[in-house]
Amino acid sequence: MAENTIIRFEDVSKRYDEMEVLKSVSFDIERGKFYTLLGPSGCGKTTILNLIAGFTDATNGDILIDGKKVNDVPPNKRKVNTVFQDYALFPHMNVFENIAFGLRIKKMNQKTIEQKVSEALRMMRLEGYANRDISEMSGGQRQRVAIARALVNEPDVLLLDEPLSALDLKLRTEMQYELRELQQRLGITFIFVTHDQEEALAMSDEIFVMKEGEIVQSGTPVDIYDEPINRYVADFIGESNIVEGTMVEDYRVAFGGKVFECVDGGMRPNERVEVVVRPEDLILTSPGRGNLVVKIDTQLFRGVHYEIIGYDEEGNEWMVHSTRRAIVGEQVGLSFEPQDIHVMRFDETEEEFDARIETYTEEGERV
Amino acid sequence: MTKKPKVFLFVPYLLWLALFVIIPLFLILYQSFFDIHGQFTFGNIVEYFTSGTYLSMTLSSFFYAFLITLVTLVISYPAAYLLTRLKRKQLWMLLLILPTWINVLLKAYAFIGIFSQSGSVNDFLAFIGVGRQQILFTDASFLLVATYIEIPFMLLPIYNAIEEIHPSYVSASRDLGASQWETFRRVIFPLSLSGVRSGVQAVFIPSLSLFMLTRLIAGNRVITLGTAIEQHFLVTQNWGMGSTIGVVLIIIMVLIMLLTGERKKGAAK
Amino acid sequence: MMEKRSFKWANLYLVFVFLLLYAPIAYLIYYSFNAGGTMNSFTGFTWEHYQAVFEDTRLIRIALDTLKLALSSALAATIIGTFGAIGIYYVKKRRTRNTLLSFNNILLVSPDVIIGASLLILFTMVGFQLGFTSVFLAHIAFSIPIVVLMVLPRLQEMNDSMVTAARDLGANSFQVLSRIILPSITPGILAGYFMAFTYSLDDFAVTFFVTGGGFSTLSVEIYSRARQGVSLEINALSTILFLFALGLVVGYYFIQQGLEKNKRKRTAVKDPTNHEKAVSPR
Repeated sequence: MAENTIIRFEDVSKRYDEMEVLKSVSFDIERGKFYTLLGPSGCGKTTILNLIAGFTDATNGDILIDGKKVNDVPPNKRKVNTVFQDYALFPHMNVFENIAFGLRIKKMNQKTIEQKVSEALRMMRLEGYANRDISEMSGGQRQRVAIARALVNEPDVLLLDEPLSALDLKLRTEMQYELRELQQRLGITFIFVTHDQEEALAMSDEIFVMKEGEIVQSGTPVDIYDEPINRYVADFIGESNIVEGTMVEDYRVAFGGKVFECVDGGMRPNERVEVVVRPEDLILTSPGRGNLVVKIDTQLFRGVHYEIIGYDEEGNEWMVHSTRRAIVGEQVGLSFEPQDIHVMRFDETEEEFDARIETYTEEGERV
Repeated sequence: MTKKPKVFLFVPYLLWLALFVIIPLFLILYQSFFDIHGQFTFGNIVEYFTSGTYLSMTLSSFFYAFLITLVTLVISYPAAYLLTRLKRKQLWMLLLILPTWINVLLKAYAFIGIFSQSGSVNDFLAFIGVGRQQILFTDASFLLVATYIEIPFMLLPIYNAIEEIHPSYVSASRDLGASQWETFRRVIFPLSLSGVRSGVQAVFIPSLSLFMLTRLIAGNRVITLGTAIEQHFLVTQNWGMGSTIGVVLIIIMVLIMLLTGERKKGAAK
Repeated sequence: MMEKRSFKWANLYLVFVFLLLYAPIAYLIYYSFNAGGTMNSFTGFTWEHYQAVFEDTRLIRIALDTLKLALSSALAATIIGTFGAIGIYYVKKRRTRNTLLSFNNILLVSPDVIIGASLLILFTMVGFQLGFTSVFLAHIAFSIPIVVLMVLPRLQEMNDSMVTAARDLGANSFQVLSRIILPSITPGILAGYFMAFTYSLDDFAVTFFVTGGGFSTLSVEIYSRARQGVSLEINALSTILFLFALGLVVGYYFIQQGLEKNKRKRTAVKDPTNHEKAVSPR
């Protein structure tokens, strides 16, 4: 095991009665990084969190924290703390007592407790709220209390279960910055669960995209955004145009009735593939100068840009994000560069994907 | 306006409130100022607070109600807690409160048989060599039967209060390092106190006013406030004195409600 | 493991409480078959006490009267209480609503003796003949508040915009009541009726105070017979009543379960991922 690994899952699966919510998942979590488990509700991301915290038992497989198997270690004996989705602040205690809870359990003396709690309050910018009742705190403040209550115990890993989902948009964005900053300052591992791809992209060092109890793809936000492994990931993260095409040979892909140069390779000649082009990579131009010609169907003003939808001669739908407006009904050209095209194979697993990339990247970079 | 039909349908309820709740309360108060011959008097109240009989009766009534409540609580709390951790807890709970659907009189009647001179308990005592005892018509038998009858009324509110505790509080407590026992002591128990309070209300007040058990089981050895009221109304026909005791009972009831009532501090959500 | 062992002890304790609660009932039933004629020393099996119950025309009449009383008083209480709850729900002022609720709860927390005594004074003062009608009115009186308490939460759960929507679609207030409000609070009304029914069946003290003119309910009758001494006819009657109550409760449980299941099915469709949050603390 790598020295830096703090949590390891080895073929862990979890069943509730007939439902298999986690299907033999393996991964390593490294120290000091910000991880995000991303996926729609029901994909098993919260189950992973519960397994790490110890609230639920794995049906199969081993869970290791710091190299030691913890399958039978109760949650109170794990150096992991959780920020709950509903915060789970104790309603019969005030802010101070909530934060002090873990320290009191450890039987620390009153003076140390006071010192540590006020430090935590200061860190979460909650000075002056110590004696407030939980019911008197706003949603954002409750969340800070919940984080303070977890962090005051100095855990190796902080688990956050959709902690931002109950906040309004503005507060949510603020907290994204704050959480990221907090994690970098403290240098401990954060594992963050969310179904919001923007949150995941904004905060994480590493994202695990999950689907139906499996990790579909893991990687840095940039990797996952630029090189989604399949339609599911491409669709889930950001807006994308996904059209079917044919891989004529390495670095040459056909779609929309034409053959284009691209940077992908390692497929069989003439293999059916899916092609992703992000809407912001498409540039509106005159029909003559574009790589593709589309007829504009609809246009929406989105504030930052126009969202324009058009159809090419094969009937593929193309979404364009453009700061320039187009005229509905007109023919326009779309231009894009070879590196804007990302080619995906059908039913490729993450290992196969990684292996294929290994075989051609060195060559590809020269192009 | 179109609201009229609703207002019209609300009338019977308001009539009920006036006729069967508010007026009867005033009538009891009013009646307490009349002596047995229908003359206006403060004598009943004076007598209640000066006569040793009434004061000691009130005290013993309190004492029994306290004991009944305490024993009921001690038996019911663990049962309620353990119930919430069972798989088929709803079915179990139903089975445990099912006996309340059986008429109190029938259960009391059963105890007459069990505790009688030649009943099962005495058979057992004779068998183990202790010998037959007078059990029926003692304070102990009264306590036992009253406790038996009140258990479900304590069990249910405590069970509900523990059930209402969101499981994430327990997870949070465990997550923060508390063992199961510490979680119980610091989280579950404090959060279930509202149920304990309702249970105490539901048991203590009726225990003050039991009157049928005092006769059937305790053979009039125990006189509760309830027995006294019943005696005055239905036997000696001294309604004035009966009402006076009734007023005292109502005041005690209100005090207990206030004492055990939910503290509304910061309850707004 | 430690936890497993403590769990066994837990079950043992529950079984103990369970046995404690059922012991007297089992005792009654057991001796209802005793040929010996007393509630001790079982000498032989017999049905004769059951035969006696069915031959005791007075007892049969009282049993039927009790049932009639419970069914009718519960019905009246349910109607008045349901509209009372709807009325309370629509009272705009918070203070007034809370006052109404506190008055509603007075009879719930009052000891039976107080209810009985105060109603006795009321009936006597207005010169009312004590008998079936006075008992009937008293039973309605103490059953109304429990109906209100059962119905009110359902009203609060009800989606208010449903009523607005119905009005928007042209329903008058009677149609809103009969097609929107009443159907959506039906489980509460059923629960209220059931509770009122059992309250009435169970009552002894209030009836004892306000009855007269030869009218009697089972509990009053048992009280007077029990004071005369043990008669196994009462055991036989208890057994029959126990089976009746058991049937009633079990039936009610399954009806409720059925309703809940339907409800759960509907919510499950809305959110198929409920199971994910099933955190089980050990």
